[in-house]
Amino acid sequence: MATSSAPTPKVNRLGLQVLDYRGGKTTLCAGCGHNAISERIIDAMYEMGVQPERVMKLSGIGCSSKSPAYFLSRSHSFNSVHGRMPSVATGALLANKNMLGLGVSGDGDTASIGIGQFVHLMRRNLPLIYIIEDNGVYGLTKGQFSATADIGSKLKSGVINDLPPIDTCSLAIELGATFVGRSFSGDKKQLLTMLKAAISHNGTVMLDVISPCVTFNDHEGSTKSYKYMQEHEEAISEAGFVPSFEDISIDYDPGTTYDVEMHDGSHLRLRKLHDDYDPTDRVAAVKALMEAHANGEVLTGVFYIDPHKPAFTDMLNMVDDPLATLSEERTRPSKKVLDEIMAEHS
Amino acid sequence: MGHTFTIGIGGAAGQGVATPGDIFAKIFSRRGLHLNAYNAYQSIIRGGHTFLTIRTGADPVTNMGDRIDLLIPLNQDTMDRHLGLLGEGGACLYNADTIQPGTHAEGVQLCALPVSTLADISRNKVAQNTIAIGAAISMMGIGFQSLEDVIREQFGRKAAAVADENVAVARAGYDYATQNFRPFARPLPMSDNRYAVLSGNTALAMGGAAAGVKFYCAYPMSPSTGVLHWMATHAREAGIMVRQVEDELGVVNMAIGAAQAGVRAMCATSGGGFALMSEALGLSAMAEIPIVVIDCQRAGPSTGVPTKTEQGDLWQMLGAAFGDYPRVIAAPLDIADCFTLLAEMWNLVDKFQVPGLVLADLLLSEGRLSVDPKVLDFAPHVDRGEMITSPNGGPGEGGYKRYKITESGVSPRAIPGVPGYTHVVASDEHDEDGVLISDMFTNTHKRRAMMEKRMRKENGIAAAVAPPKLQGPADADVTLIGWGSTQGVIEEARALLAEEGITANQLQVRWIVPLHGEAIVEQLKNAKRTIIVENNYSGQFARYLRSETSFVADGHIRKYDGEPFMPHHIVEAVREQLAGGVTLSVPVHEIMV
Ligand SMILES: Cc1ncc(C[n+]2csc(CCOP(=O)(O)OP(=O)(O)O)c2C)c(N)n1
Ligand code: SF4
Ligand SMILES: [Mg+2]
Repeated sequence: MATSSAPTPKVNRLGLQVLDYRGGKTTLCAGCGHNAISERIIDAMYEMGVQPERVMKLSGIGCSSKSPAYFLSRSHSFNSVHGRMPSVATGALLANKNMLGLGVSGDGDTASIGIGQFVHLMRRNLPLIYIIEDNGVYGLTKGQFSATADIGSKLKSGVINDLPPIDTCSLAIELGATFVGRSFSGDKKQLLTMLKAAISHNGTVMLDVISPCVTFNDHEGSTKSYKYMQEHEEAISEAGFVPSFEDISIDYDPGTTYDVEMHDGSHLRLRKLHDDYDPTDRVAAVKALMEAHANGEVLTGVFYIDPHKPAFTDMLNMVDDPLATLSEERTRPSKKVLDEIMAEHS
Repeated sequence: MGHTFTIGIGGAAGQGVATPGDIFAKIFSRRGLHLNAYNAYQSIIRGGHTFLTIRTGADPVTNMGDRIDLLIPLNQDTMDRHLGLLGEGGACLYNADTIQPGTHAEGVQLCALPVSTLADISRNKVAQNTIAIGAAISMMGIGFQSLEDVIREQFGRKAAAVADENVAVARAGYDYATQNFRPFARPLPMSDNRYAVLSGNTALAMGGAAAGVKFYCAYPMSPSTGVLHWMATHAREAGIMVRQVEDELGVVNMAIGAAQAGVRAMCATSGGGFALMSEALGLSAMAEIPIVVIDCQRAGPSTGVPTKTEQGDLWQMLGAAFGDYPRVIAAPLDIADCFTLLAEMWNLVDKFQVPGLVLADLLLSEGRLSVDPKVLDFAPHVDRGEMITSPNGGPGEGGYKRYKITESGVSPRAIPGVPGYTHVVASDEHDEDGVLISDMFTNTHKRRAMMEKRMRKENGIAAAVAPPKLQGPADADVTLIGWGSTQGVIEEARALLAEEGITANQLQVRWIVPLHGEAIVEQLKNAKRTIIVENNYSGQFARYLRSETSFVADGHIRKYDGEPFMPHHIVEAVREQLAGGVTLSVPVHEIMV
């Protein structure tokens, strides 16, 4: 008797299928940029072979901050409060440094209510992937301008934004994040490559991903619409990624391409598309961002990277085991220590 | 309380008031004496006026008392402000080169120290202080060696030459006093007991460490900063992750992040910082992540009086964060209790997965008290409640439900990273699995069930905490009701009233939530006259007690000038109220500090 065997499903290096990285069914609007970002996160985690249980998803409040429910169901998730995810993430990763932190925020959650927490997070270089799903509006509260909206951009109602935007990438570069880039939810290849490189990085990765809000900010006059991005996106470099576990040597031209060896041995290859592009030069990166903005372009790609700077958790003289799983005897100062402390007080 | 002896030392900030204070504290504690120290000061780094009161005795000394026996003014201002406090038998030691005494009571010994002839003041800037300490030790009937030991310790072996010089200066003061001044009538006693001298902030920090706190973060704010300092100094040896964070929003959320990862995480602040933390207390309650937040109250509102005490944050704490949620609130009764309370608080909040709030105040935080080391249990029982930290065979049929509806309202809590137990933690209302029900799928039945599940924890919390007990004679003439840090001063006022033939008992409340209102009313129902004593303007506790129980006290004693109660304030107010006509007394703080 002939048996027809079903085709064996594709698996990654852990033997897991893409399915194992999926999440719940999205409740966001059809066409919302945030959904595309969720898909890329699934792909990146699958392709990199990350154990889902090792991931801690963290978010604030907003449509974007809801999206962790729609990927990586097998991972732990913490929806904190509006604008406070940076400190929740800091506490969580200090208490358990073995987890892979993945923070998802919105432009309102980060640049409006959460800007204070955001800038301090960037200073820490905490090992965390911090994604801003940036649509220039508060989607969840029905489309008011956020602090990343460009001056002069227009709401459907005709209201014009009268304040300049906060560029979260310039801020992050200036403050100490060690992997900073911008992408577009509609640019599958670039976003996926950047996310895979992000997973390999040890330190704060800050990715501002333009993610159009189809319901409130995708019309003529918006600078965060699909159309605007298609017309104005300008990549600073073309990114390629070779993970450490794929021992493939691809030739590249060192004259035109930067090869960045990541913390885990992977390679990020950045082919120059702009003169003077140097992803290790912070001043040049901020200059390029400002110039592009002045020219009405939305610059994307990896702007700045420093794979060598020690991450926050590596600088704090912590015990090897995560604090969260220390045994009870180890969670209290020893008798000797306490006796010494007491002697000081008598 | 038996006989006590009190020293008052005052000067401008920066003149070195603290050092003599530390030296006296060490000497008293090494004689096996109890002590209580309180520093009245201003929010200024140099200048202003600082007045330190150290009271000692063979029995526990619960408060700063009413009387000063020895005044050491380091400047004219202190002399002018405080000389009047000395009564018959008291003495004042002062630098005759720079300070003039003023009018004083009968029987006060004015002890002029010729500082510039006793020491080379061009070389030793604090010579007047050191000479005064030496002279004081002599008049108290203490051998010089005790002082010499402390001075040498203070300078350490490295600075032996400087130590020698200071010992010589102290000796000059000691000998001068022995020859020229009358010693105090009762030399200081001695005992074989040994006590540790702690500030409330140190006690709070050490109590946290003993309870297994592994994560502490804070933004500096007086009077809570001492907790941060202790933690930062001892982080390494005690194995605690200590972070200074950009603001209190960051502080409390960082603590919550660490706590959800599985550690005991704590933070301390004062009223202004606590206001910023309100939002996150709701998160702690909703996500059922236990944390402990300490509020060291200072006089408010707003920036208020940073260096002055008050019990004015009670309603802020009761009203912190919106919505209904279970939590625990406790006010430590004294500095030793700052230590002991923390282990109890931690076990409760871990067991019930709720925020725990500690309502301390400046009087406790910055005051110092001798504490019997026996009270300081460094290995208290630790109960982390139902926690899942390893897969252990997995959650079984139906999978793991983080917010499982249970009779007690408590659902076993898995920490992140345990295979088979991953889940969603959310500030939005959620169902048993942690899935959000707040926005699009609001389900009234689920919402109600989750609300009731969380609130059911209140029953368990109430059962785990004992109601307060009436202290003193059951049929007393007057019942004094206090909460938190007023325990000691009310106790002493009761003893003083008894000497006048007025019997008083006391109900001191330590657990604010749960309050046990019925038990309180039951104990008060036969009281002849009830008076609530508190360090605030509006009678915050009186209003709370009334709102919870309908109980209305006969009278109130309130103080909101920034300084703590002294026993005579309460005694005089009780006397006044017993005489009739008065139901609200606001004692005047006589000393301007
Ligand atoms: C303290 C507080 N203020 C206001 C809100 C209401 N609110 C919820 S989400 C949001 C804005 C979200 O904007 P963004 O982060 O850009 O997310 P998006 O929905 O656009 O993805 C606001 C104002 C809130 N939840 N909490
Ligand atoms: S409102 Fe905008 S941001 Fe929110 S889900 Fe819809 S499209 Fe996305
Ligand atoms: Mg937005």
